[in-house]
Amino acid sequence: MKLRTMALEVGTLGVNSNPQEYTAGWYVDPNTGQQVYYDPATRNFYTQAGGIYVPMSYMNTAPKQVTVAPGDNLKITVSFKYTGPAITGACIRYCVGVYGTFGFTEDLVAIESFNIPQVVTPPSVANVSNSHTFAIPTNIGSDWNDIYVKMYGGTPSLGSDVVPSYIFGYENALIIVGTQPNITEFKIADFAKA
Amino acid sequence: MLNMVLSPLAVVATTFNAGDTVRVTISFNYVVGVNTTVKLQACPYYTNILGKHMVNSCVGSTDLPLIAASTPTPQSATVDFVLVPKANGGIDNGTYGLRIWIEDTDAIAEQDSVIIVSGNSSGGIGDTLTSIMPMLMMVMMMGMIMPMMQGMGGGSEE
Repeated sequence: MKLRTMALEVGTLGVNSNPQEYTAGWYVDPNTGQQVYYDPATRNFYTQAGGIYVPMSYMNTAPKQVTVAPGDNLKITVSFKYTGPAITGACIRYCVGVYGTFGFTEDLVAIESFNIPQVVTPPSVANVSNSHTFAIPTNIGSDWNDIYVKMYGGTPSLGSDVVPSYIFGYENALIIVGTQPNITEFKIADFAKA
Repeated sequence: MLNMVLSPLAVVATTFNAGDTVRVTISFNYVVGVNTTVKLQACPYYTNILGKHMVNSCVGSTDLPLIAASTPTPQSATVDFVLVPKANGGIDNGTYGLRIWIEDTDAIAEQDSVIIVSGNSSGGIGDTLTSIMPMLMMVMMMGMIMPMMQGMGGGSEE
């Protein structure tokens, strides 16, 4: 089977040299206009519904969909703007799987280690990127269509693996072409005596 | 305002003789992750008040290899089936629809009233006997029952 490489831009992750720079309080999400609350203790944003603070979901609607089949290569690229000290040995965990009510089932997992150079001036465009290429296996499930990445570790540390500060994902980012054929426009073109 | 689009028939009705082989050409698009082989099948069908019924004795099939393709790929194929004569337990004279499908998928296509079958022999003595057998049975039963009924009637008069 012909191998194909596809790139999927996961998005921009904001990494600050000092994650504590936000103070507790309400902010406005510039993308949605939604009011969100920042809690410096958990370093997370929350929305309020029915008097309850709900952590903002890290999964988002995918800006595009990529079709993959067994034998294809899927390249996931992460990019973000970074200002701060040099970081060595940071990790990015790439996952492909199923996002559901009870969380993310990680079916394909890869961890990449990377370093970030010191950046003093805030960049206008993403200045750090990393990527990983998955080989799509023959046993891929038809519902393995979600992806997420998270960054953690390093010196100085980007945070914990268990409670990551930098996590981002897309739902329904992939269209899986499985081992069963999907047939469309099936019609009788002609028939005659043989 | 009604906005209707009438599609022409995909195929036109054709007359065949019992015993003929019919070759059906189909087309479709597919995507599949690995090289695979599917079974393409075709047969005539008839319709009555109980629905559509395939003429199982005339089902034809062929294996169709599909090369892995992750984008919709056009494919065409042919499949043959034989109009087995009625004398051999096959199809009767009449008008039938044409159904094609791919096993283990939801791919199916039908066209009503496009196969006209003729040429089955109207029969020798065997067919004639078969057709009048129910009537003969009725007559024989009446012949047995009538004397019994007359006997019962005579008893009640005494």
